[in-house]
Amino acid sequence: MDLPLFSAAFAALAVALYVMLDGFDLGVGALLLREPDENLRDQIINSIMPMWDGNETWLVMTGVALLAAFPLAYAILMPAFYLPIIVMVLSLGLRGVSFDFRSQAVGQWPRFWDITFSLGSIVAASMQGLILGGLLQGVTITDHEFSGSVFDTFRPFPILTAVSVLAGYIVLGSGWLHLKGTAAVRALAERSLRRVTPVFVGLATVTCIAAAFVQPGIKAAWAAHTVPLVMIALLFYAASAILMTAIGGKSDILPLLLALLQFALGIAGTVLVIFPDVVPFRLTLWDASSSAVSQICLLTGAIVVTPMILAYSAFAYRVFRGKTPEKGWE
Amino acid sequence: MKLDPEVLARVQFAFTVTFHIIFPTMSIGLAAFLMVIEGLWLKTKDPVYLEIYRFWMGIFAMGFGVGVVTGIVLSFEFGLGFAKFAQIAGPAIGPSIGLEVLTAFFLEAGFLGIMLFGLKRVGPKLHFFATCMVALGTQISASWILSANSWMQTPDGITFENGRVVVTNWLRVIHNPSWLVRLPHMLLAAFITGSFFVAGVGAWYLLCGKHEIFGRRTVSLGLGFATVAVACQLFVGDLLYGKMLHYQPSKMQAAEGFWEENSPSPAPYNWIIIPDQTHQRNRFALATPVLGSLWLTHSLRGRVAGLKNTPRDLQPTMGMVFYGFHTMFIVAILMFFIVAVSLWLRVQQRLFSTRWFLRALVIMTPSGFIATIAGWYTAETGRQPWVIWGILRTADAISPVPGGAMLSTLIAFVVIYALFITAFLIFAFRMIRRGPEDAPDHAEASGSLVNALRTQVMDHAAATHPGEGR
Repeated sequence: MDLPLFSAAFAALAVALYVMLDGFDLGVGALLLREPDENLRDQIINSIMPMWDGNETWLVMTGVALLAAFPLAYAILMPAFYLPIIVMVLSLGLRGVSFDFRSQAVGQWPRFWDITFSLGSIVAASMQGLILGGLLQGVTITDHEFSGSVFDTFRPFPILTAVSVLAGYIVLGSGWLHLKGTAAVRALAERSLRRVTPVFVGLATVTCIAAAFVQPGIKAAWAAHTVPLVMIALLFYAASAILMTAIGGKSDILPLLLALLQFALGIAGTVLVIFPDVVPFRLTLWDASSSAVSQICLLTGAIVVTPMILAYSAFAYRVFRGKTPEKGWE
Repeated sequence: MKLDPEVLARVQFAFTVTFHIIFPTMSIGLAAFLMVIEGLWLKTKDPVYLEIYRFWMGIFAMGFGVGVVTGIVLSFEFGLGFAKFAQIAGPAIGPSIGLEVLTAFFLEAGFLGIMLFGLKRVGPKLHFFATCMVALGTQISASWILSANSWMQTPDGITFENGRVVVTNWLRVIHNPSWLVRLPHMLLAAFITGSFFVAGVGAWYLLCGKHEIFGRRTVSLGLGFATVAVACQLFVGDLLYGKMLHYQPSKMQAAEGFWEENSPSPAPYNWIIIPDQTHQRNRFALATPVLGSLWLTHSLRGRVAGLKNTPRDLQPTMGMVFYGFHTMFIVAILMFFIVAVSLWLRVQQRLFSTRWFLRALVIMTPSGFIATIAGWYTAETGRQPWVIWGILRTADAISPVPGGAMLSTLIAFVVIYALFITAFLIFAFRMIRRGPEDAPDHAEASGSLVNALRTQVMDHAAATHPGEGR
C-alpha cells in the first residue's frame, strides 16, 4: 500500500478544507473594516462566530500532518516561509483573542478589537497568498535543506499571489454574507461581490500566466496537461460569469457556492501542476516521507477522526443555517 | 552586534512556550476544581457551590481561549526555529502531537460549549458529565504533550536508517522511560497551581470583608486540595528526582550547584551560587552545612556528585538549571509551609480570621505558575546541550534563518503577547473585583467554541430532557 500517497491525500484534503472554510471567515474579517455601523458589525461577526475555530483546526492539522508524515518537507518549508508563517499565526492569534475580548471590552475598546480582528484577517490572508506564491515559484534547496533567503518569499510573484488570494477570500466572504446577511449586510455583500469578483478573476488570470514565466516546472506542466488545465480555466471563467449574474438574485446561497467552486478549481489546478511533489519542483512526496509506522499512526488517527470532525462541522453549519439574526444568537 | 540564531531561536521558543504553559496549567487545574465543585453541588445542593462554579468558570473560559491561540503558534514553531529537530523528531513525536490536536478538537467541539453555556439548558447531570469530560480532555491533551516532551528527555523505540529516524516500537515512543513520572508531576503542579489561585482570591475577599461565605468556602477548599496535592507531589517529585539522576545525571549535578566530582563530606546545601562555567567553579556560594548530605543522600556524611563528572562539551549551563530548580524548590517549600500552617489553623478554627495568613495566601496566588515555569526551565535547560537527549544537539537543530529575521519576529511575539496578557489580566481583575454574586450563569468569553451553539443545541437538549431543566 502506498502510505505516503494516502498521507499526502490527507494533507491535501486538510489544506483544501482550510482554504475554503477559513477563507470565507478571513474574507468576512477583511470586509468588517468597511462597515462603520456597530450593530451591523455585530451581525457580521455573529455570522462566523459558530464556525471560525473549527475551521482553523484544519490549519493545525496540515502542519502536524506534514511534521508526522513528511518531516523532511516540514523542515524545508518552515524556515523557507519563516516570516510569513510567524506573521500569519500571530495575526490569527490576534483575531482569535479579538473574538473573546470584544465582548468583554467597554467604551471605545470594542472598536479597537474590531480593528485588530479585521487587520488580523487581512494580514493572515495575505501571508497565505505569499506562501502559495513562494511555493509555486520554488524554494531554493541544497542537499535536502533550505538554502535560500527568508526574504525570497517577498518577490514580485508571491506578492501578486498574495493580492489574488486576498481578493479571492473577499469574494468568498462576500458570498457568505450574501447567504447569511439580512438587509444592510446583504447589500454590503452585493456591492462587494460586484466590485471584487472581476478584480479576483483578473488577478487570478495574471497570476496563472506569470506563474509559467517564473517557474519552468509550471510551463512544463501546462504542456503536459494542456487539456485538463484548459478545461479547469474555462470552468473557472464560466463559474465567475454565472456568479456575476447571481448577485442579488433569488438564491441566497448561489454566489457562495460558485465562489467555493472557483476555489475548488484553483486547488485542483494547483494539485495537477505540482503532483507528485510535496515541495513543488524540488522534492517528491516519496522522498520526503517518514517511516511506515509513523504514517500508519497518523493515518489511523485521521481515518477515525476526520469523518467525526466533518460530521460535527456539518452539524454546526446545519444548526446555524439560514440568516444570522440581527440581534445575535441569544 | 552579531546576532546568534541559536540563542535567538531558543529565546523565542522559551518565550512563547513560557507564555503558553501558563494557560494550560490554569485550564487543567481549574477544570479539575470545577469538576469537584459541581460534584459537591449536585450532592449537597448548597447554592454556594453553584456560585463558586459560575465565578471560576468565567476565568477558566477566558484562559482557555488564550491557551488555544498561543498553542497554534507552537505547532509550527518546531520547524520555524529548529528545522533539523523537526526532521529527526517528526516521525516519532509528530503522531503524538497530531493526536493531541484531535483530542483538543473533540474537547472543544463536544463538551466545552455545553460546559460554558449550558448550565440552565441541559440539566445538571448532563452538564456535570460535560464538565468531567472537559477536565478529562485537558488531562489527555497534557498526556500527549508530556509524552512527546518526555521522548525528547528519554528517547526510546527508534533506530536510525540512512540518517533518518525510523520508529521501531510505537508503544515505547509514547511510553518512554520518564513519561509516567513526568506526567503526574505536571498534573499535580497544575492542581496545586489552581488550588493556590482559588485560595488566594478567596483570601483577598476575606481580607476586604466582601463575599464572606464564598471566600471562606474557597479558601477552605483551595487549601484542602492544595494539602492533598502537595503531599502527593512530595512523593512524585522525589521519584522524578531519582529517575532524572539515573537518566540525565548532568541535569541534577547542575541543579544542586556542585562542580567537583565529589562534594566535601558532609555536603552543604547550596541556596545561592554565582557559578563560573569557564573555570568550572563557584565564585560564591551561600549554603547550609550538612543539609546537602541529609537531603540528597539521606545520610550524615554522604557526598553529592558535581558537574565535572560530565565532560565539558556535554554540560548544561549551571546557572540556569540551578536557579530554575531552586526557584521551584523554594516555592515548593513555601507551599508546604502554607499547607502545614493551614492544617494547624484549621484545627484551631482560626483559618478565616488569621489576617497574616490570609495575606500570605494572597501573595501566594501566582505561586503555582512561578513554580511550574521554573520546573520547566529546569527540565529544558538541564537537557542542554541536547534537544533530543543523546541524539541531537540543540546547536545542530537550528533552522537556516538569519539572526535578524529571528530578532524581528521575537519582538513581534513580545509586543503581541504583551497585548494578550494585558487584556487578559484587565478582564480577569475586573471579574474578580466584580465578585461572585454578579457572575453570569454562562461564560462571557470562550476562546473558541461555538459561543452561539448555546441557544440551539441547549434548547434542543432541554427539550429532550425536560425533567432535568430548571
